[in-house]
Amino acid sequence: MTDYLYDGSWQGFLTCVYYHYYEEKAAEICPEIRYQTNLLRQAKTIVTDTEKAERVSSAIERKISPYSLTRAYAAFLADEPDKERFILDYIVLGFRVGGHLDDLRGREEVFRVQKLAKQISREAERFRGLLRFSVLKAGDREILYGKIHPRHNILELLGEHFSDRFRSEPFLIYDGGRGKALFGWGGNWETAPFEEKQLPGFSQEERDYRRLWQRYFHVIAIKERENPRCQKNFMPVRYWKDLPEFSAKEVMK
Amino acid sequence: MDIYEKLSILAESAKYDASCSTSGTERKNTGRMGNASCAGICHSWSADGRCISLLKVLLTNKCIYDCEYCINRRSADTARASFEPEELASLVMEFYRRNYIEGLFLSSAVEGSPDRTSERMLRCLELLRGTWDFAGYIHAKIIPGTSPELVHAIGLAADRLSVNIELPTSKSLAILAPQKKAEGIFTPMRQITEEIADRRQLRSGGDALWDGGKRLQYLDGGFSAIAGDEKNSWRSADFLSEDASAYSAERQSGGFPMRRNGGKNYKEVFAPAGQSTQMIVGASKETDAQIVRTMQTLYQTFRMKRIYYSAYIPVRESPLLPSLLTPPPLKREHRLYQADWLLRFYGFSAEEIADEQNPFLDKDVDPKMSWALRHMDLFPIEINKASIEELLRVPGIGALSARRIVRQKRRAAVHFDDLKNMGVVVKRARYFITCCGRFYGESSMEPELIRGLVSNAETKRKKKSKYSLLAINDKQGKAMDSADFNRSIEEESSSAAMIPGSPEECEQGEQLSMFSLSETGGKEETV
Repeated sequence: MTDYLYDGSWQGFLTCVYYHYYEEKAAEICPEIRYQTNLLRQAKTIVTDTEKAERVSSAIERKISPYSLTRAYAAFLADEPDKERFILDYIVLGFRVGGHLDDLRGREEVFRVQKLAKQISREAERFRGLLRFSVLKAGDREILYGKIHPRHNILELLGEHFSDRFRSEPFLIYDGGRGKALFGWGGNWETAPFEEKQLPGFSQEERDYRRLWQRYFHVIAIKERENPRCQKNFMPVRYWKDLPEFSAKEVMK
Repeated sequence: MDIYEKLSILAESAKYDASCSTSGTERKNTGRMGNASCAGICHSWSADGRCISLLKVLLTNKCIYDCEYCINRRSADTARASFEPEELASLVMEFYRRNYIEGLFLSSAVEGSPDRTSERMLRCLELLRGTWDFAGYIHAKIIPGTSPELVHAIGLAADRLSVNIELPTSKSLAILAPQKKAEGIFTPMRQITEEIADRRQLRSGGDALWDGGKRLQYLDGGFSAIAGDEKNSWRSADFLSEDASAYSAERQSGGFPMRRNGGKNYKEVFAPAGQSTQMIVGASKETDAQIVRTMQTLYQTFRMKRIYYSAYIPVRESPLLPSLLTPPPLKREHRLYQADWLLRFYGFSAEEIADEQNPFLDKDVDPKMSWALRHMDLFPIEINKASIEELLRVPGIGALSARRIVRQKRRAAVHFDDLKNMGVVVKRARYFITCCGRFYGESSMEPELIRGLVSNAETKRKKKSKYSLLAINDKQGKAMDSADFNRSIEEESSSAAMIPGSPEECEQGEQLSMFSLSETGGKEETV
């Protein structure tokens, strides 16, 4: 039993799975930066190998199911310290039982991964709605700029939706917690590291629309039915800092 | 008047329209801007916990009608405003760009005549679809009395159409909104149903049943064989349905071109997301049994996608209406939504949910539980032998978990411990099932006992949620003195979490159980 350390990428993780089968069994798979030395086991750093990763991924696709591969990948995007172990257990069980892996909901291995994957897709869905763009002007060009702080690493799951929706406008979605951004233009998108520096301020027009939105948000609520608990259930407070409807001060400036 | 004030007034006037769904249309971006997602997307949630996904406004709130229950009635002393179509269209586009909203919900008071108002609405929609090339979601209200040509044109621009039925029976409509006629409401409803049906007929080559057909047959037959009921007799329901089924009987195709040739490329289908309607609950004196029958009639005759219920909030003192001190019947509204779900997804019929013996839905337990307690002779059901129709009848098992059980039992027996992982609410289901021959409930199957246990569990859970109770006490405790009254408000409001316009149904598929009642703290609740 060895601890496998990898670079934190999906490919890297799959390479570890490869070694788990072809060399020593993995006691733990862990991103190198997060690893705490364990006296009882030795650790081995795995260099990401795209070829091996590709073999594992196509094996999952063929011998288990394409759906399971997507599900494992979705779970991998989670912000969950034990996710590598969960996914490994899931894959190991999958190679044993084959195509009907995902029918075995009663099994702990399946249930955990399914739960993670569900959290991811829920949050990605949530941010399709909760993301707010502001129109930034640089010279005579405009770009839609949105900042988010999602719990899970869901940035890339937003790409398809928004690049289709804003086909004719360039946009940028910045994941403030991870220092990554998604750029979209003309129906294409890609992610890259990004730092928030020297952004142009809001124009008067932008501030007016924010004010209109806040007004609308306020007016549409029915006082007799007020229910803050319900509101927070759907829109947890941790997301509020990026929403213009809750930032009255900023607009007053 | 600047746009800020206009928006304040016209959104304020539109806020009692419950529908905010954006589902039912899947459309990729074909214009310059926008797309639509079948599952619907919610963008924000207002302080009352209802979702905001569409910019919900009236085009104008200047009204010629004088309906008792309405804040915009002619005799009301409120600020009046109207949007210019151009102004509203560009506001929608700017909000949409910033991802504040999913599209537009456009309704209007009747200014001048229904046709004149509808023409202005149409103008706004055409600007959006034409000039701005907007491919997002549009929900348009049809004003009763609008001419068929205009309804058709609006339908081509909008995704979903709705005509408000306003009140559950034509009798109360005559009392509270004397200027509106049941016929004026049903004529456009029927037109919409027919145009949608005709379009589907064109597309699917001779198959007149639209895709809801499967579900509707299910609705008709359902579980009644097991429950021992006669095939439902909704056709003889005592009101409204008469008007409604008269319309469905003389069903004939309208004389409109089904497709507009050479139209814009954004979309040219008539109301792809179907139609919905809304009724006010608690303003008139109907029983729940009558309301549930009306629901069923509307779903069957007009193929509604959704019906919304809005608890009446007193707006004025009038001998015809409940007094101003009446709290909105939120609990009742919540139970009606549950009944609605039973009709659409669980194979229940209206008579099973409420009848003359039980004219009102049970306040303490949900309608499915209350049905089960009235039919204890059918339980317990063996999970591993039950059909999906039977499973759907068990309290605590929802549409999704029933499907999961059926799927798993093909491979392996379903054990009691698996149920929780499958999403079954075990604390409610256990009194009604056996698992591999074993019963997990109490020693007695006495309905009263179970009822007590289940509603106790519910109260306990609510006690824990101090937040909502405190908030209500703070606000209302000062204004009202009577302790009894306060208690009734608490009862009403603490369970007021039902969201009429939640992300809601994608009609088929797994989405339907995403419908979560926040009462349970975000967990899925199955009725």
